[in-house]
Amino acid sequence: MGLRSLLDRLTPGRATFILEERLRFEALLAELSAGLIHIPAPDIDAALELALQQVGTFLGVDRGNLDEYVGDAPGIRISWAMRGLEEPPRVMDAGQFPWTAARLARGDLVRFSRLDELPDEASIDRASYQRAGTRSKVLLPLRAAGPIVGVLSFSAVREERAWPDELVERLHLLSQAFASALQRKRVELSLAERLRFEKLLASLSAALGHLSAVEFDRGIERGLRQVVDFLGVDRGSVIEFSRDGETARSWAIEAWMDAGEFPWMTARLRRGDVVNVSRLEELPDEAAVDRRSYLTHRVKPQVAMPLLAGRAVVGGLVVSTVAAERAKSDELVQQLRLLGEVFASALSRKQGELEAQRLRQDLTHIGRVSALGELTASLAHELNQPLTAILSNAQAAQRLLAAGIVNLEEVREILRDIVTDDKRAGDIVHRLRGLIKKGDVEFVSLDLNGIVGEVAGLVRSDAIIRNVSLSLEFAADLPKVRGDRVQLQQVVLNLVLNGLDAMREPGAGERRLVIRTAREGRGAVMVAVQDTGIGIDETVVDRMFQPLYTTKAQGLGMGLAIARTIVQAHGGRLGAANNAHGGATVHFTLPVDAGKAR
Amino acid sequence: MSAVAPMIFVVDDDPSVRRSLTRLLTSAGYTVEAFASAGEFLARERYTGPCCLVLDMRMPGLTGLELQETLAAAGRRLSIVFVTGHVDVPMSVRAMKRGAADLLTKPFDDKDLLAAIQRAVAKDAQDLGEEARVAELRERVARLSPREAQVFALVVTGMLNKQIAAALGIGEKTVKVHRARVMQKMRAGSVAELVRFADSVGVIVPKS
Repeated sequence: MGLRSLLDRLTPGRATFILEERLRFEALLAELSAGLIHIPAPDIDAALELALQQVGTFLGVDRGNLDEYVGDAPGIRISWAMRGLEEPPRVMDAGQFPWTAARLARGDLVRFSRLDELPDEASIDRASYQRAGTRSKVLLPLRAAGPIVGVLSFSAVREERAWPDELVERLHLLSQAFASALQRKRVELSLAERLRFEKLLASLSAALGHLSAVEFDRGIERGLRQVVDFLGVDRGSVIEFSRDGETARSWAIEAWMDAGEFPWMTARLRRGDVVNVSRLEELPDEAAVDRRSYLTHRVKPQVAMPLLAGRAVVGGLVVSTVAAERAKSDELVQQLRLLGEVFASALSRKQGELEAQRLRQDLTHIGRVSALGELTASLAHELNQPLTAILSNAQAAQRLLAAGIVNLEEVREILRDIVTDDKRAGDIVHRLRGLIKKGDVEFVSLDLNGIVGEVAGLVRSDAIIRNVSLSLEFAADLPKVRGDRVQLQQVVLNLVLNGLDAMREPGAGERRLVIRTAREGRGAVMVAVQDTGIGIDETVVDRMFQPLYTTKAQGLGMGLAIARTIVQAHGGRLGAANNAHGGATVHFTLPVDAGKAR
Repeated sequence: MSAVAPMIFVVDDDPSVRRSLTRLLTSAGYTVEAFASAGEFLARERYTGPCCLVLDMRMPGLTGLELQETLAAAGRRLSIVFVTGHVDVPMSVRAMKRGAADLLTKPFDDKDLLAAIQRAVAKDAQDLGEEARVAELRERVARLSPREAQVFALVVTGMLNKQIAAALGIGEKTVKVHRARVMQKMRAGSVAELVRFADSVGVIVPKS
């Protein structure tokens, strides 16, 4: 067929061969093809749309479509229609055009000038075309050295028209330019995507790698938000499993559904399985509870990724969608696997830290209990005083009553004394329990004078037994500090007991223990415990705060080490020095509670 | 026992304990005086009647044990019932060795305390009687002339008059006169009784 007849058909109703027009079409195709090569990937869609419009207009067709395939199904559609014509339906359903789809998938083109050119086996397609009002159509598969990346099609709806070979050949050239543009877009976007993913992974690792316990929840939620945004899913959750296999807790973006509502998924996660279910129908029978929960929450399942730390499953990373079911994606699973590793290491590090904190607490508890062991004698003495008074008072009253001497005023006094002494005994037990208590660390604003006073109350009778005069020198108007009451009491108790022990040797001279509080510059306060004991051996002064160092026969060597750990955790320092006139002074400083500084 | 109601001294640094013990002992019929420290008790005028001391072992300042030692050093004999909140074996042994009447651990039953006090007071009364007797004997010894004292010291060793005369370088007759005076001044009915007196007052036998 000659060019003239080609153009006759291209432009129906025009019989004259116009060289300029032919040349213009060639030029247009060349320009479009060249242009697409240099367009940056994100602008390709817009360029394709413009090209489609230009070609369609030039050819005088009614509609032009560019269906980009994602996987092997139609995905994004770029379409163009002659002004005044209805836009073609947005989504092309392969189910309505089985014959066409099969041919395109094989790489064959489809063209018909009249619907009755379609073979009998294309009866479904024919009906669909009829419904869409299509009279003539040409469809070209877009492939660039690989699978089909899309379909280019032009149709006529107002009147039938032919698609001569010369035209199809040129459209084929155009389709190659389109195909390579789509391919390039895909490669470049997926490269950019991968780069973005690498960046996300890196920033997540950095953010979750240094989470303190305080920011942990916020950090996990922030990370989860990034993941959800990146993956384009609607819901995201991190579940934490505790060591005993229970669900410890969970974090979620949007509403999280309780793990108990998804027993099947949770059980599989716990076994370390990846659950990748894109459609409710894929759920097995035993997942009936899960299915119901998905329906109740109007959520579509997606992927649940177990979080592994070594061989242990420490939790799960779960994403799901609300709107549409999505195709299963190996890429998504792969990405979640990598993201999961970041969350898994954050969770396992947190669990490790909790374990370490528990051990530290146990240790300070042991230190406290052993310090109390040293106090037993004096505490027994202290507790026995009110008990003695109570018993004697009660028996005195019994005697008075037995002797028939009923002096109500005296009985009243006796009862009042008994109540007072009973309260006193209770206070001693209460103070003791406060020290033994293995509670959580609680940082509050504290008055150091008060803490020293309480400890002094505990050791006062011990000092008496040891024949040591105990005196307190409190700085007036001492700023508050921020700390844990029990831990700071323990530090003071430890220093005081050490001071008392230092004066155990039967030496000459008075035995005097002074506990002093003072301001230390602007930003700190100090507690000093000064004794008149044997002093510190200068050669051990470096070692005395180390764990397991002790000069006492029954000592654990943990007292000062624990004291130092506590003081440091409060942002302070612990130090010791010998006094000019015998004995030693151990002191510690604590920063002033910034919120409460006067 | 003496006709005077025995006096109980209580020394304890704890005001509650002092009050309750005072009450209990008063209800049992004793006269009670309570002190907050060993020093306060030592400052009190010495009591001569039958009494006992209920003493807390651990106190600030002078401890119970130290008070016991101080009293002994001053030659003051006193029945002491120690009370302590915490039993410390070495301290208890020390207290008992130094003649404490009893040692009770706090808190104690009134029966135990009253029984201990009763024993202590009875012993005190007995000791007081003995002390009074010895004091009387000392007075008699004091009335002896130096020579009579010498003869007294030698007679109770069982020496014969002749030996005494030789030892003192005086006549046997003179010894006899001194001896009769000693028997009379000491109000001794026999040499055996005189020996018992000498034992009570601790007459030291000079080396011959």
